[in-house]
Amino acid sequence: MKGQVFDIRRFSTHDGDGIRTTVFLKGCPLSCVWCQNPEGISAKKRPLYFENRCIHCGTCVKKSRAEGVKIENGKIHLNPKAAEDWAEIIDWCPAGAIEMDSREMTVGEVMEEIRKDEVFYRHGGGVTLSGGEPLFQWEFALELLKQCREEGIHTAIETSLYVRQEILEAVLPYLDRIFADFKLENDGLHKKYTGVSNERIRRNLKFLLKSEKKDAVIIRTPMIPGMTATKENIEAVGRWISGIYPEVSYEILNYNPLAESKYHLIDQEYCFEDNPKLYTKEQMAEFRSWAEQGGVKHVIIES
Amino acid sequence: MEELYQTERVTYLKDKMLSEPRYASIEQALIITDTYKKNEGQPKIIQRAKSLKAALEQIAISAEPEELIVGNRTAGVRYGVVFPESGSTWVDKEFETLPTRPQDRFNVHQEDIDTFRQVIKPYWKGKSLEDILVQRYGKKIDEIAKVVKINQKDHAQGHICPNCEKWLETGPKGLQEEAEAKLKTCSEEHKDFYKSVRIVMEGAEDFMMRYHDFMMNLAEKEMDEDKKKDILTVAENCRNLSERPPKTFHEAVQSVWFLFVILQMESNASSFSPGRLDQHLISFYTKDIEEGKLTRQDALEIIECLWLKFNEIVYMRNSHGAKYFAGFPIGFNIAAGGQDENGNDYVNDLSFLFLQAQKHLGLPQPNLSVRLHERTGDALLKEAVRTVAKGSGMPQFFNDKAVIPSMEELGIEEKDALNYAIVGCVELTTQGNNLGWSDSAMFNLNKALEAALTGGICLLTGERFAPDYGNLEDYETFEDLEEAFRRQIDYFMDKMILACEEVEKVHIDLLPSPFLSSVVDNCMEDGIDVTAGGAKYNLSGIQMIQVANLADSLAAIKQLIFDEGKVEKGEMLDALKHDFEGYEFLRTMCLNKVPKYGNDVDWVDAMGTKWAEYFKNRLRTFTNYRGGPYHTGMYTVSAHVPMGENVGATPDGRHAKEPLADGGMSPVYGRDVKGPTAVLKSVSKLDKNLTTNGGLLNMKFLPEFFKNEAGIDKFAKFLRSFVDLEIPHIQFNVVRKEDLIAAKKNPEQYRGLTVRVAGYTAYFTELADELQNEIIARTSYGDI
Repeated sequence: MKGQVFDIRRFSTHDGDGIRTTVFLKGCPLSCVWCQNPEGISAKKRPLYFENRCIHCGTCVKKSRAEGVKIENGKIHLNPKAAEDWAEIIDWCPAGAIEMDSREMTVGEVMEEIRKDEVFYRHGGGVTLSGGEPLFQWEFALELLKQCREEGIHTAIETSLYVRQEILEAVLPYLDRIFADFKLENDGLHKKYTGVSNERIRRNLKFLLKSEKKDAVIIRTPMIPGMTATKENIEAVGRWISGIYPEVSYEILNYNPLAESKYHLIDQEYCFEDNPKLYTKEQMAEFRSWAEQGGVKHVIIES
Repeated sequence: MEELYQTERVTYLKDKMLSEPRYASIEQALIITDTYKKNEGQPKIIQRAKSLKAALEQIAISAEPEELIVGNRTAGVRYGVVFPESGSTWVDKEFETLPTRPQDRFNVHQEDIDTFRQVIKPYWKGKSLEDILVQRYGKKIDEIAKVVKINQKDHAQGHICPNCEKWLETGPKGLQEEAEAKLKTCSEEHKDFYKSVRIVMEGAEDFMMRYHDFMMNLAEKEMDEDKKKDILTVAENCRNLSERPPKTFHEAVQSVWFLFVILQMESNASSFSPGRLDQHLISFYTKDIEEGKLTRQDALEIIECLWLKFNEIVYMRNSHGAKYFAGFPIGFNIAAGGQDENGNDYVNDLSFLFLQAQKHLGLPQPNLSVRLHERTGDALLKEAVRTVAKGSGMPQFFNDKAVIPSMEELGIEEKDALNYAIVGCVELTTQGNNLGWSDSAMFNLNKALEAALTGGICLLTGERFAPDYGNLEDYETFEDLEEAFRRQIDYFMDKMILACEEVEKVHIDLLPSPFLSSVVDNCMEDGIDVTAGGAKYNLSGIQMIQVANLADSLAAIKQLIFDEGKVEKGEMLDALKHDFEGYEFLRTMCLNKVPKYGNDVDWVDAMGTKWAEYFKNRLRTFTNYRGGPYHTGMYTVSAHVPMGENVGATPDGRHAKEPLADGGMSPVYGRDVKGPTAVLKSVSKLDKNLTTNGGLLNMKFLPEFFKNEAGIDKFAKFLRSFVDLEIPHIQFNVVRKEDLIAAKKNPEQYRGLTVRVAGYTAYFTELADELQNEIIARTSYGDI
C-alpha cells in the first residue's frame, strides 16, 4: 500500500510530547481559508517552483516538452497540469528549485524514516500523523499506526475529525494522543471559513469524549483573527465540549503568521492581505479566560 | 531551596573588570631576562625556577578592597604577557599593531616597545624556544605547513589539569618539604629537579605573603568596619596559605586561584584547568556549612569572585594565532557532575552553585562543562539546560558514555578514565597526572584531498606542495582516487610525526617546568620534569580537520562523476582550478544534488567516518617522544576559518578560501537541513574512539526553544538521547540573530554579550568582523 506524503519532519516539538517525527499526509476535505499547510489540501501531486533557490539557468525550460515550464517576463512559471516528464525536469534542475510537493511512499519507507529517530522517542517522544487530514488516507494511516504500535513507538494524530465514525473507531486503538480540532462552533461560520458543516465533527467529538480514550484527547482551536478568535466562538466551543466531558483538555493555539509564505508557492491568495502578528501573552490569557467562562477546566496555552 | 542572588560586591567587581583597558605587559619579561643574565651557565631548570621565583617576589601586585579572592600575574587585569623564553619574535614584529589588529587587541605603552627592543629582544635572539626550533627543524616544518599545522612552536605547553587535590592537601610548604626530603635521598641526576621545586615553592609562599601585606595596607585605609573585616579575612587567608594548607572553604578557593596564577606565571600557556572542582572543594564546603561558618549565599559569592578571577587572565597570541584561537581563550575548564570512582552518579551542592554562578555572571570563563551519563539526575540536567538558556553558551556537555570507554581503549586505567576532566576547550584529560599535549598538530584532510585531486599542486598558488600520486583525471575509479588520497595522508603523517618529536625535544631542553611538575603525578615521585615525560600519562593529540567537508567533497565526486556520470573529471578539476568561475551550474549541482554530512544519510556520513578511522588507526601505530600514544581529536576552535583560507575550491561546492565546517564534528553550516536529530545521528556514526583527544559539536538554538519548562524538558530529553548516541560532546549557542546584528552595529552596548566561538565562549564584540559574520550565518533551528 502506498500513501501520498508531503513531508516528514523530524525534531517536531509542537505536535505532542517529547521529540517527535511528524508525517504529513496529503489531502483534506476541508479548505480552511487560513490553512497553514495549503499544499496539503489537494490530494493530487503537483510540482512546485521555489524561486529563492533558482539560479535561472534555463535548464528546466530546455527540458520541457509539453510547455509545463515557461518563462514569462524573466520569471519561471509552472503549469502543473501539463503532460510533462516532471521527474526528468526535476532531476536536471541543479538547484532543487523544482520539486514535487509530495511523493508516494510505502508504509515500509515511511517507517524507515520514522525509525531514524527511534533513539529520541525513548525519552518520551514518538510519531505524529498530520496533514492535510491524515485520515483522508485512512487505510494508509491505519497501517502506519499499527506498525508504530508494534514497534513500541508512541503515536499521536492531528485531525479535523471530518471523517466517518467507523474510520475513527478503526484507528483509535492505535493512538496514544489525539489532537482534534474544533474550529468554529457556529455551523454557518464553519461552512463559510472551512467549506464544510461541523455536524460530523461534533458527532465525532462526542464519540471521542465519551470513549475510553477521552483523556488522551486534546481539543484545539487555532486563533484566527476575526474568525475563530472571538469571545462568542471560544466561549461556545468551551461550553459545548465541557458539556460533553467536564474534564476535557482544550488547547488554544496562537495564530501562525508563517502560513502566509506558503501561499505563493501554489499560486493562491491568503486570507489576510496584511498578515496579523502573533497574539501576545496577555491576549492569549484573555482567550483562556473565555474558554474557562465556557466551562473548560483544563485550558492549555503555550506560555 | 532559598533564592540565591548576585551580591552588589560581585556586580561592582564585574563592571570594574570589564571596563579596564587591556595592555601588553613586558614586566615579567624583564624580570626573566634579568634572572637569566644573572644565572648564566646554570642548568635550564634552575634558571627557570629562579626566574619564576623572582617574578613572584618582584612583580607589581594589586587588588581591589572588595575582592574576596585576590591574585593576578600582573597588577592590571586582562593584560597580555610577553614571554621571552618561549618566543617573542612575533611581539617584535607586531608590537605596534597590537592595538589595531583585527582580533584580540591590546593597548601598548611606547616606552615598553623601546625597552623590549633594547633589552629583551637582543638577549633572547637565538635562545628562545621559537628560535631554536627554527634553527633545528624550521625548514621541515614549513614544508608540510600547507597540510599540517604544528603547534607549541613558540609557547609552553598548556592544556593541563594539575592535581588540585594534592595542592589543597599540601600547599607550597608541603611541596617544599617533600622536595627537601627527596633531595636527601635522590640520585645526582634528579637533584636539580628537586632543588628547582624548592626554589619555586619559596617564591609561591612569598607571593601569597605579599598579598597579605597588600591587603593589610588596604585594611588600614578602610573606615567602614564591615568592609575592613572582609579585607582582613582575605589578608589572613593569604598568610595562612603561605604557611599551611587551607582549612576553610574560603581559603581553599583562594588556594586554588593562587595555584592557577602561579602556573600561568611559570608557563604563560594556553589553559590550565581545575577539572572537577565540585569534588575538590566539597569537603571544605560541607565542613564549613555544618559548622555554621558558611551559608550557601556566602559560598556562592566566593565562587562568583573566583569566576571573575578566571576572566582576569587572558592569553596574548600573535595575530595568526589569534585567528585560530580568537577571543584569547585561556580555558580554565571546570567539569561538574559525572561519576565517582565506583561509577555512581556524582553531583553535589557545589555543582549547582557553579551553574548558578554562571547564570548570574554569563562571562566567558571559567569554561564550564557538565558531565552527563545515563544516571545523571533530572535536577542537574535541567538546571544545566536552564543555564544554557541564559545564553552564555555554557555549560557545554560531555558524555561519560562515550568518553570513559574510549579513554580505557586508549590505555587509561579505569579509575583515571572515570575521573576524567576537560582542559582548554573540549580536550579530554585525566586529572592531575597527564601531559596530554593535546594540540600537537592540526591535520588538514581537505588540503590532503586537494593534493590527491591535483597531483600535489596547490589550487591557490599553482605551486607544488605535495607529491604527485595522480590527479582526478588519472583515476579510472573512485577507489583509485581513494588510494591516492590515502598515500597523501601517509606522506604528511610521517613528516608530521617527525616534526612533533622535534618540538617535544625543544620543550624538554628549554622549558622544564618545576612548579607544574610538582602538581602532576609521578613527577615528584620520580624526580622527572613533566616536559621530559615525568607524568603518569604522556599523550599527543592530533586534530583531523574537517571531516564534514571531506565527506561532502568525496560524496560529490563519487555521485556526480563516478556513479551518475553527470560531470566529467576534467570539468570538475577545471572548475576547482577556477574556483567555479564559469561553472556556476556545476557548483549549484555540487551544493544541491548531492546529500551532505549532517542529514543522517548513511553513505555520505560513511565517506567521512571511513577516513577518520583510517587516520586514527594509522596514527595510533606511532609513539611520541615521551613514550606515550598519539591519538585523535575532532575540534578546531576557530581554526576552521584560517584553515579554510588555505584550501582551494572543493568539490562540495565550497569556494576557495571559505571557512571549513566549524566545530569539528558539526556539519558544514547551512547544509544540515533535516534538523537537530539528524545532525546528532550523523555525528553519532563517528566512533567514540576517534575523539579521545576531544570532539566538538556545535549547535545553535534560538531562545524560543527554552522559553518555558516544556521547552527545557524537551531539551533535557534531547540531551538524554545525546548520551544514548555516545557522542562525546555538544554545546549550544542560544542567541537571536537580531541580537548579533545589533551587537555588530553597537558594540559598546553589547560588551557583555558572549557567544560560543567553538570550544569556548568569547565576547562577541571582540571578535573580528568575518568571524562575527560567520557566527551570524551559522545554522539556527528556529521553532516559532
